[in-house]
Amino acid sequence: MTRHGVLVYSLTMTTKSAWRLDMNAGPIFVQIASGVRRMLARGDLAPGQKLPSARDLAAELGVNPNTIVHAFAELERMAVIETKRGLGTFVREDAPVASLRRDLLQAAAAAFSAEVTALGISKGEALGVLREVLDAGES
Amino acid sequence: MKGFKTLFWLEYRRSGAWAVALIGSLAFWAWALFQARAVDPVELSSVRTVLLVIAAAVGALVPALMIGRLRGETRGGQYQVLLLTPPSGTAHVAARYAFALGTAAVYFGILGGLAWWVVGMAGLTVDASTAAQLVLGLPLYVVGTTIAPILAWTVLLTVFVSAYRIAGPGWIPGTVMVIGTPFALRWLVEGIARAAYSLPGWPILGSLGVPEGAYMTASPDGHEPEMIVDGIVHIPQEPLWIMLALTLVLLVIASRIWREVEA
Amino acid sequence: MRASLSGVTKRYGRTDGLSNVSIDFPVGQVVGVLGLNGSGKSTLLKLLAGLLFPSAGKVTVFDGPPRENRAKLVYLGENDSLWTWMTPADAETFMKGLYDDFDIDRYRALLDSLAVPKRKTKAMSKGERGRLRLAMALARDAKLYLLDEPLAGIDLLSREKILQSIVREWHTDETILFSTHEVAEAEGLFERVLYLREGRLALDARAEELRDQGRSVVQAFREVLG
Repeated sequence: MTRHGVLVYSLTMTTKSAWRLDMNAGPIFVQIASGVRRMLARGDLAPGQKLPSARDLAAELGVNPNTIVHAFAELERMAVIETKRGLGTFVREDAPVASLRRDLLQAAAAAFSAEVTALGISKGEALGVLREVLDAGES
Repeated sequence: MKGFKTLFWLEYRRSGAWAVALIGSLAFWAWALFQARAVDPVELSSVRTVLLVIAAAVGALVPALMIGRLRGETRGGQYQVLLLTPPSGTAHVAARYAFALGTAAVYFGILGGLAWWVVGMAGLTVDASTAAQLVLGLPLYVVGTTIAPILAWTVLLTVFVSAYRIAGPGWIPGTVMVIGTPFALRWLVEGIARAAYSLPGWPILGSLGVPEGAYMTASPDGHEPEMIVDGIVHIPQEPLWIMLALTLVLLVIASRIWREVEA
Repeated sequence: MRASLSGVTKRYGRTDGLSNVSIDFPVGQVVGVLGLNGSGKSTLLKLLAGLLFPSAGKVTVFDGPPRENRAKLVYLGENDSLWTWMTPADAETFMKGLYDDFDIDRYRALLDSLAVPKRKTKAMSKGERGRLRLAMALARDAKLYLLDEPLAGIDLLSREKILQSIVREWHTDETILFSTHEVAEAEGLFERVLYLREGRLALDARAEELRDQGRSVVQAFREVLG
């Protein structure tokens, strides 16, 4: 969580494009919930941090506030966030960040694997490419 | 009436320029009356009378135009906006009417003053209370019997035509109303003539406490009074009441139709 | 139901602006009214506002006739409908004097956030006039909003500001009906969308359900009306 100290992003400053909402990609509330989980996994959001109100976020993104409320309800159900009466909505201190990271990585891996299959590349070659990319990413 | 004040304000902002121009034009008429020159004092009086009559006609026409305005802003989206405001049709009609009538009343009041001045210049002098009657009472009587109903008729026509715009060509009911008016007028005038003087008339120079026998002296050119006029002329009061009643009826109909207007 | 149409037909001469339409609008719903020009969108909104009367059927708003409930609804028409000599201050006088539910502070705040200039409307651009009219509409505390093409002819930045303002000012017990051609921009706002074609209801769906089926509101628009 190296970016903690330099928390540049506040959700109220993010724009529609940062959220990558795609009206063709399924219900918005699902995309919002995923977006919050992704931000948490990447450290753009920290446990205990306050989320913008449903209305503010809705205004930023140009979506119906009920949609945000629906997304928040989902996230609450997943025990990622919680609502404190009178104070607002917060990321839970015990939010499962590690497992969220794993999930995201797994999803990325699944996408990679699907591509490998689609291209008909062998596992060995695929792993080689993966190693190349990871090495390049480190430098 | 709810919202009347704001609607009146709106009417003032919409037509205020017209009203000011109209009343300001009286300066022109005053100047024209003063400038009129003729050799014969009788001819001079008739020239001035003609000017006054034209001024009176303008005073009737312009407020009617202020209400009319069938084109332009009234037909645009502003009409929709007005239809959806909370005040009742009565308030809307009353505000438009009150402004136009108020303008007309001021105009004719001042015109009455000019007429009195013309009368004075013709050599007729009258005592103060009689002058007050002439300057104020007569214009009010004239306005009440002619201008008031004319303006009410204009309001009704405007609302009427708009109301049936969608249901069919709006010009049909409008035309019917316009064509039917002379017939209705003739019937009205005949009715008034028959009714006139059934009630005691108003002594034009004898009411408001001036005793019987008050007189008007006519001294053309400032010579010795050539005649003494026993100035009790009676004006019938029926026309005024009938026309005011008619005005009220027209306005009530206009208010009712306002409810039915589509936009 | 906040509003409803029951078997409503509106005839214009020989054509039907709306043809036997029945729709219910619950409290708190934000509805997109979509369709091509002449499909009946404006007619629908005007019938609900009480500016038009149905040729057949019944329109009910706040459990009564629309015109009688006009003080409780906000209608923002397509046409520029302010007097050309009016300034935002004049508009304030107008609204304040005629509507009990007009919130002056909110109006001024909206004028500010929508960057409406202090000029007569005849000296304003179309976008500025649109924003002024929207400020007048949103400053009222009504329970039913009928917005007919509030984004028409308005520049991109103004459109974004307008959509943001609508979202900010909306309360959960307010019903908003919103017709627009800028479907893509506004689609996120709609809880429900109505597609009108030639005076009839072609599709009535929840926006999120459409997306669940893999179609955006825009896509469904093309499919239903194309």
